[in-house]
Amino acid sequence: MKEQERPSWADWADRIRSLDDPAKAFEKPEALDDLVVLDLSSRSMAGCFCSSLLAESGAKTIRIEPPGGDLIRTYSPGGIKHQGTGLAYLQEGRNKFHITLNLETEEGREILKSLAGQADIVIETYPAGMMDEWGIGYKELSADNPRLIFASITAFGQFGPESVNRQYDYDNISQARSGIQYQTGEVLPEGSSCREKPYAVPTKSGPWMGWATSGTFAAVGILAALYHRDMTGEGQAIDVATPEAYERLNDYALHWYADQQVVNERFGSLDACLWLYGFYPTKDGGVFLGGLRLEMWQALVDMLGKWDEWGAGEWKSLAPFTQKDWQLKYQSMIDPLTSQYTSKELTDKSIEYSKSGRLAPITPVVAEIVSPWKTMHDENWLDRGMFTPVEDPVYGPVVCAQAHWKATETPPRTKWVCRPVGYDNGYIYLKYLGYGPAALKKLEAKGIV
Amino acid sequence: MSGAFQNYVKNKFKKPGPLKGIRVLEVCTLLFGPAGPSFLGQMGAEVIKVELPPLGDVTRSLNPFGWFYKEQGPAFMHINPNKLYLALDLHRDKGQQIFRELAAKSDIIEFNMRPGVPDRWNVGYEQIKEFNPGIIYIEKNGFGQWGEYAEENRPSNDGAAQALAGFAWISSFAGRPPLKQSIWVCDVFGALMGEVAVLSALHHRKRTGRGQYIEMSQIENIMRPMGWVWPYQQFAGKSAEPSGNRDQCICPADTFLCSDEKFVAIAAPAPEEFGGLCAAMKRPELREDPRFRDHSDRLREENALAILKIISDWAITKTAGEIESLGKEFGFAAVHLHNAQDMNEDPHRRARGFVKEIDDPMYGQYVDHEFPVMMSKTPPKTKWNVRPVGFDNDFIMAKILGKSQSEIDGLYRDGAIGKWKDQQGRRPPADWDQKSGLILRR
Repeated sequence: MKEQERPSWADWADRIRSLDDPAKAFEKPEALDDLVVLDLSSRSMAGCFCSSLLAESGAKTIRIEPPGGDLIRTYSPGGIKHQGTGLAYLQEGRNKFHITLNLETEEGREILKSLAGQADIVIETYPAGMMDEWGIGYKELSADNPRLIFASITAFGQFGPESVNRQYDYDNISQARSGIQYQTGEVLPEGSSCREKPYAVPTKSGPWMGWATSGTFAAVGILAALYHRDMTGEGQAIDVATPEAYERLNDYALHWYADQQVVNERFGSLDACLWLYGFYPTKDGGVFLGGLRLEMWQALVDMLGKWDEWGAGEWKSLAPFTQKDWQLKYQSMIDPLTSQYTSKELTDKSIEYSKSGRLAPITPVVAEIVSPWKTMHDENWLDRGMFTPVEDPVYGPVVCAQAHWKATETPPRTKWVCRPVGYDNGYIYLKYLGYGPAALKKLEAKGIV
Repeated sequence: MSGAFQNYVKNKFKKPGPLKGIRVLEVCTLLFGPAGPSFLGQMGAEVIKVELPPLGDVTRSLNPFGWFYKEQGPAFMHINPNKLYLALDLHRDKGQQIFRELAAKSDIIEFNMRPGVPDRWNVGYEQIKEFNPGIIYIEKNGFGQWGEYAEENRPSNDGAAQALAGFAWISSFAGRPPLKQSIWVCDVFGALMGEVAVLSALHHRKRTGRGQYIEMSQIENIMRPMGWVWPYQQFAGKSAEPSGNRDQCICPADTFLCSDEKFVAIAAPAPEEFGGLCAAMKRPELREDPRFRDHSDRLREENALAILKIISDWAITKTAGEIESLGKEFGFAAVHLHNAQDMNEDPHRRARGFVKEIDDPMYGQYVDHEFPVMMSKTPPKTKWNVRPVGFDNDFIMAKILGKSQSEIDGLYRDGAIGKWKDQQGRRPPADWDQKSGLILRR
């Protein structure tokens, strides 16, 4: 850590770090290590993300793929592979045992029933109805194991008029259906068309936020169902539709239209509810500027040398600034000012202002918009264990985002990043079904594993 | 699903939520903090939202372009359903004492203050743990509780998190400035992930009796779903870059402009999906084209651009609706971009009860989201909406803490508990009848 004056609460920081530093995660117990999870995800990273969250807390997670592996292993920028596996799966194969099983055969399905009879949780992402048709839906599996928690994550959910569609759940489709993509993106300037400006269109988030959100909601549902089971012994079925899960993150557009018939439209990198709040250009990139109190906005104006010219001393309320026309007016006035500085210069100015400015210690939030490269090499995040490489026996050192929350008692941890297709067949089939090498060989010959 | 969800919406209120019996204390403002306890409340936990009187949560003032619903901030309404509203002055000894009495009877405590503040108020983790060792205590903020940035006392929020995690960098079109999401994605997704931590800890407590302290930084948390970006940078030795609506890991998966000036999203990576799309385009030969046959080959930059150009040239000759229908017919995923009107009018959302009318004693009938996890034996539910600052004080003091009326009067007199200021968003709506929504009348 850099030399700096420590805050008045430094003793708290030291104490809590001594209790929850992820560097010590491996010395601690795991919250879910009494559970067995079967992950049958097909093509969908939502299911794998969900099972990752359970596996990071110690659940024994068995990933079941068709012989040859799930399509998900090919998801990778440019199609590149690291030792045969796509880079996306090198994140979400974490901590899982990998076996193969052909669910399109009767014998394969019987094997699945045996595994499910010994499992606590099943996660699946096949289009609604497929598991039932195969005779391995919730009804059949819960008949043998009423404690089973059976979670389905799909494009349409398990019921409702569209649930008959047999389309798989893809992230970009769910982002489009959620209503969020429609309202996100650059504003098309008056008089031009998106044919000339193909970037000024509804824009999805780069990361798979549809999948991540439904996977996380499913994990929350599974854990709540687990609490219910701990109290009553009763398992249940869980239904998550990815577009709904993602849409739940959208805070007022639904109600706004219902009440006012206003369709929430794109507003660039500003925010319809907030001021000061947006992205602004700098000489070398851009910064986020924020200040949800009048004084913070005034501090920015002062910092940019416009206190008198803009009459900031006379302002009494933030309310008019959140109106659309004022937001656009002031944005166009701020842009040329921030463009005169680098992101670092602006950040330093805000720190300086907090010490010696007219409104000090009040100062605006200035955050550089960094590349993920910069994020990954930032000492602060490295110190906090975010990018500690996982030393994988098969894949070597692999950088994963981990320690995304910290805890004193049962912190999450990543033990390995992935396994090759069918890598754990020997171990898992022996442990749960008593199949030795001879039995496995027969199943292999029949194309079942 | 073989009946597990038959008549689900109709029968939802015949069963409790999964977290029945759990009590949550929340001292949170804005979005990142309060969203998590709401999820627990929708799953049946009793959530007490503690605000500082008389102004309470600043989100009560937020509004898109001046629109309030019955004087209330619509984001506040969406973020805070199913809670009880207590206004407790935690700056005062007596207020802190009441908080500790409630903490002794609670399972989960959630804070989103600056580091060290709960400690200073004598309601920090270690202080609560002394008399409630099973407490699960989570603190949420921008930079965590320790480390260089945290110690610089940097303030943070959703926009800063999008900027600092590298999230915004990879969410625009190539060559364009980084783009902020229109939703508070780091706030609400971070809040959701916080409940994964809390509920995992609850299972651990069931097994061992031990509670714990959890810290959640929204900036760190949003790095987690960025997935492939990190090993890509490690192996390629350079930064991940944005690609607009094109999914860099799946091909084809992109958004296309249609003849009716609408947009359609298409995804067709699996062999039969890609074949279906080729057939729908009446270009079956593309399926066998060596550039496109295999998904990994199709993802190579020049091949991906080639196939996306072909699809784009085709899509512009069709309406979005036509392509959506072809997706169903030929077995690939396709949908027009839904907007707020679709969100309201789509029969599928309504049939699933995901978009529904709430019947609230204070705010009347209005449209809101249901909790997006349907659970066959313990259905979660959105039930009621927000209340004025300190609205449920008397109920909480009498029912949960067993205070007599004279004790409650004393607490008001001492300023330990308080009521709303006569101001927008803090007071009841103008058409309130002075009684609806009150649990214990005063």
